[in-house]
Amino acid sequence: MVTITINGFPVQVQEGANVLTCALDNGIYIPHLCHHKDLSPLGSCRLCIVEVEGQPGVTPACTLKAKEGLSIRTENEEIKRLRRLALELLLTAHPEDCSTCPKYGNCELQTLIQYIGPKTGRMKLRSKGFKPVEDNPLLIHDMDRCVLCGRCVRACNELRGVHVLHYLKKDMESYVGTLHGKLLKDADCRFCTACAAVCPTGTIRDKLTEAQKQKSAEDRLVPCRAECPAHTDVPRYIRFVKEGNWDAAAAVIREKSPFPHTLGLICTRACELGCKRNMVNESPLSIRNIKRCAAERDTGSHWRGKGKQLPDTGKKVCVIGAGPAGLTAAYYLRKQGHAVTVKEALPLPGGMLSYGIPAYRLPRQVVADEIQVIRDAGVVIETGAEVDRPGELIPEYDAVLMAIGSHSGVRLPIPGSDLPGVLLNIDFLRSAAMGRETGLGRRVIVLGGGNVAFDCARTAKRLGAGEIHVACLEARDQMTADEEEITQAQEEGIFVHPAQTFERITGESCVTGVDFMDVLSFSFDENHRAMIRKAPDSLHHINADTVIFATGQRPRITSDAGLALGRGNSIAVRDMETDLSASSPGIFAAGDCVYGTKSVIQAIESGRRAASQIDRYLGGDGDINETLAPAQHPDPHIGCVPGFGYLERKEPAVHPAEERQNNFNPFDQGLSECDACEEAGRCLQCDLRLQIDKPHLWGDYANGTEGRNN
Amino acid sequence: MRMYDTQVAVIAAGPAGLSAAVQAAERGARVLVCEKAAAVGGAANMGMGPLGIGTRYQRQQMVDLTVEKAFNMFMEYTHYNVDARLIRRYFAQSAETIEWLEGMGVEFEGAFRYFPKAEPTWHIVKTDHGIGPRAASFMVKALYARALDLGVQFLLETPAKKIVIEDGKVVGVLAVDASGEDVRINCQAAIIATGGAGANKQFILEETGYRHGEDLFSFAIPGLMGDGLRMAWEAGAERLRVRVELAAEVENGIYLTGSVANVFMQPNLLVNRQGKRVMNEEHMQNTTFLANVISHQKDKVCFSIVDTSIIHSYIAHGVDVTSLVRTNPDVSDFYDGLRMAKENGYHTFFKADTIAELAREMGVNEENLIQTVADYNDACDSLDGEFFKDARLLRPLVRPPFYGAQVRAAGYGTVGGIRINENCEACGKNFEPVPGLYAAGADACNIYDDSYMFLLPGNSMGFAVNSGRIAGMSAAAYVR
Repeated sequence: MVTITINGFPVQVQEGANVLTCALDNGIYIPHLCHHKDLSPLGSCRLCIVEVEGQPGVTPACTLKAKEGLSIRTENEEIKRLRRLALELLLTAHPEDCSTCPKYGNCELQTLIQYIGPKTGRMKLRSKGFKPVEDNPLLIHDMDRCVLCGRCVRACNELRGVHVLHYLKKDMESYVGTLHGKLLKDADCRFCTACAAVCPTGTIRDKLTEAQKQKSAEDRLVPCRAECPAHTDVPRYIRFVKEGNWDAAAAVIREKSPFPHTLGLICTRACELGCKRNMVNESPLSIRNIKRCAAERDTGSHWRGKGKQLPDTGKKVCVIGAGPAGLTAAYYLRKQGHAVTVKEALPLPGGMLSYGIPAYRLPRQVVADEIQVIRDAGVVIETGAEVDRPGELIPEYDAVLMAIGSHSGVRLPIPGSDLPGVLLNIDFLRSAAMGRETGLGRRVIVLGGGNVAFDCARTAKRLGAGEIHVACLEARDQMTADEEEITQAQEEGIFVHPAQTFERITGESCVTGVDFMDVLSFSFDENHRAMIRKAPDSLHHINADTVIFATGQRPRITSDAGLALGRGNSIAVRDMETDLSASSPGIFAAGDCVYGTKSVIQAIESGRRAASQIDRYLGGDGDINETLAPAQHPDPHIGCVPGFGYLERKEPAVHPAEERQNNFNPFDQGLSECDACEEAGRCLQCDLRLQIDKPHLWGDYANGTEGRNN
Repeated sequence: MRMYDTQVAVIAAGPAGLSAAVQAAERGARVLVCEKAAAVGGAANMGMGPLGIGTRYQRQQMVDLTVEKAFNMFMEYTHYNVDARLIRRYFAQSAETIEWLEGMGVEFEGAFRYFPKAEPTWHIVKTDHGIGPRAASFMVKALYARALDLGVQFLLETPAKKIVIEDGKVVGVLAVDASGEDVRINCQAAIIATGGAGANKQFILEETGYRHGEDLFSFAIPGLMGDGLRMAWEAGAERLRVRVELAAEVENGIYLTGSVANVFMQPNLLVNRQGKRVMNEEHMQNTTFLANVISHQKDKVCFSIVDTSIIHSYIAHGVDVTSLVRTNPDVSDFYDGLRMAKENGYHTFFKADTIAELAREMGVNEENLIQTVADYNDACDSLDGEFFKDARLLRPLVRPPFYGAQVRAAGYGTVGGIRINENCEACGKNFEPVPGLYAAGADACNIYDDSYMFLLPGNSMGFAVNSGRIAGMSAAAYVR
């Protein structure tokens, strides 16, 4: 360490350290534009000039190195004059009209104008005449606004080692771009967007939708993690997979959920919807398959017997329902030291994992193994234990969590809906899962367009039904089922009829078919009422002896339970976002029975939230977070990968329809180790950008929010 | 959730919010400001200075402008469609406001007119080296520094979302910080000063019928989504009409050399889609009037037309008209700009060897335009009997190639929406104040009626700073 003096104040710094950085770190503002803490000094903007004692003239602080006895002054009249001149020269080639710039209010140059002073009519404004380039995914290049600070070029070349951005010339004007004006994808850009992170002006910007603008910077920048209901740290486990470190990857996933393997098979993958890779070459990273690969190879070395386990608190919690929400809550409550009993009405735990989702998608052994981990943690699971009046469990238990899911199918009130031969989704799937008689005939129509409808149709196929139709109100592109489910069902010979109204189920003593009409348009008004326009004269009929309603499920509960119920027979909670307590003291609710049928990962998140709240209720701190995976130090120098933008998504091997449609064996083989590692290599590593230092603005120093602590 | 306690919460740190914060703090209130952007100043970062009436600068310049005269001008201009008590208080305070700003280190170049017919009410902030856009960023700096000196707390990148009302009174403000964490500010008073909804295309379409980016090219400063309007209305303030503060500009001119817009905004021949003249072009300098004219034409567009001899004259001698915003008469790089327009595909500039061809290029009635140009050229030899344009500004269109450019309505964003009284208290439908709720600046600027009052320039920033001060005074008195 050496002592340097800034404006008369002695400051202890590392010898050889960048003096501008030292000043900023010590709460002393020096205006700067080309300087960036993560990049090598350039010294071109001349705004950070200071006076060095014993030296004539001025010196850019960013090129000064700290040495014992160095003494500088950051302001005097001459420095002010020279900074004004330097900024004025920069501004002669910068558009005068900030009001069209998306960076307004967050522009470093704008704050420098506040601090130093604007350009005036003294020097003629020069327009460079570059048109904004919007042909690239994720990034906009608006070179008219560039002040040639060179941060992006240094970020791309030094910090990332990607070497896409270069200084170029057109006529007399310098600008930043790719060689030969190639598109970023053709120049092997890795779309890390470090260039946009360091750009002090509105020149290189993120392409943002209105919805994205409403989000916090971190959620916007790392959408996979933000979109996952449980906020699983996707980029971190993807990186472990790329290194072939399956155990560490699985541990990252397990930090947020006790069902990594289950999720690897059936997660609805909100993460992939958000994935920015989708913008680069039309297919997101195959996150779920990568997760599956890690979970299948996990030996548990990072978490088995190692996670958080607080000492026993003496408090007892009863969880009603052993589905993903209930079991997740039970698992984390146990780790917080509470004694947890789960009461499950059905013979096996797992809820929809065991009775809803067909075994060809989710083998029962996977579920059983993951539940065993929860049992091993000390959670007691009682099956065949139905609870009608949860209030009576108190005071034996200090808290009760209702996680009863939604196990009543919805029968739409159309003519013929109670004819023999009409089945309900959840009853049908449960009977099939238990190996019981389902009442299925030969010709089946499933009404509904979600994943459950396809589970019903494909289960019917495997049980031997001859002709199977799926019909739904939504248009083909609006159907809520996974695309994969729809196409695989079609491969198995199932007919899909989108945009249909269900007019009536025909038949006198038993089902003979369904009358449909074609839908021209379908939407919901602001009161969530369906608005349907039918095509005139489009009435048509499909013959069937079995109709399965797959038009939603509701919680199986009545007011006899002693709890206030809400919309769709759900259990009313104080605030779905922040407070999961039900109407009776000590009783909480989580999962589908609160918000309606959603997804397994949503139920897990709801269970986590309930666990945290119940722990606080029982006197704990509510902090259920745990770190299982080893620390990761991602290398910011990601280097060049030829053809990176064009790398295609790896798809898993799937057994052909004729081999899979007559049995309940899993048919999706997942990715091979090699493919999973390669697929992980397609990740843009959006989270690296969060490491990049944020702008240091004069206002933050005046406001005292920049550290003056050192 | 992070919690803060204060007396006065100011929502947004533009000129109105900063003035309100400083004023309330000077009157002894504890003040916290939350601002959506990373930097303070809002739209004032682009502006040049506020209005003042009866200031020492005007006296030094021998300008005899009293509050009485300005008030009467203003009320007549707006047909008494606006709140006279508020105008009275704003104008009467405006001179002292200039001194108030000087007291915190702001210096002014003097009092200026935007164009010759206007009064010199525009007090342009001094920047040590001449006049130009963005000058007011120095005023922003001074207001911010003063606020910090007074102990005002700032939460940057923290947009407010909701005013919390309990028992009919303001008790708090909910916001979200940069990391997405919820923030609650407990307070007795809230001052809304979010600057309108200039970036909210959907809102502008619904409120005014303009399609931003198609027939309107007004400022769309990011973040100006009408947050304050929505919050105030939800909290019980009455919803008043929202308008766009209109001006006019050469479409796509900002993407080219400044000379292109400079040439086409001169008092050239201006025609509409039918190929007919629509005004005395010497009034084009009053861009409010020009925007109004354009708004009444088919497709909300006009065409400014010059010939090669006019361009050469402008290049050789400088343009006829300059302003404080467009100060430089030199248009020597006009052709460079046109080349950029062509290269970059801006199809709002036209070139042709005959008037007929130009009309076809522009999509203007050919027959009418030929007649209009013939009549106009005749007028250049004698007098403009049609619109009485000053003979010195009449230049015939004779030498090909001829050039045309589309002129469009533009402007500064939205004004108005929240009912306030002369104390800047936000009022409900019953005209009674919502206790603890105040509004200032563009969100509450209902004072223009249908057209910006360019004869007293500096009004937008003047209203922002003065209404901010008034709101600050009222809120400080309320919390005491």
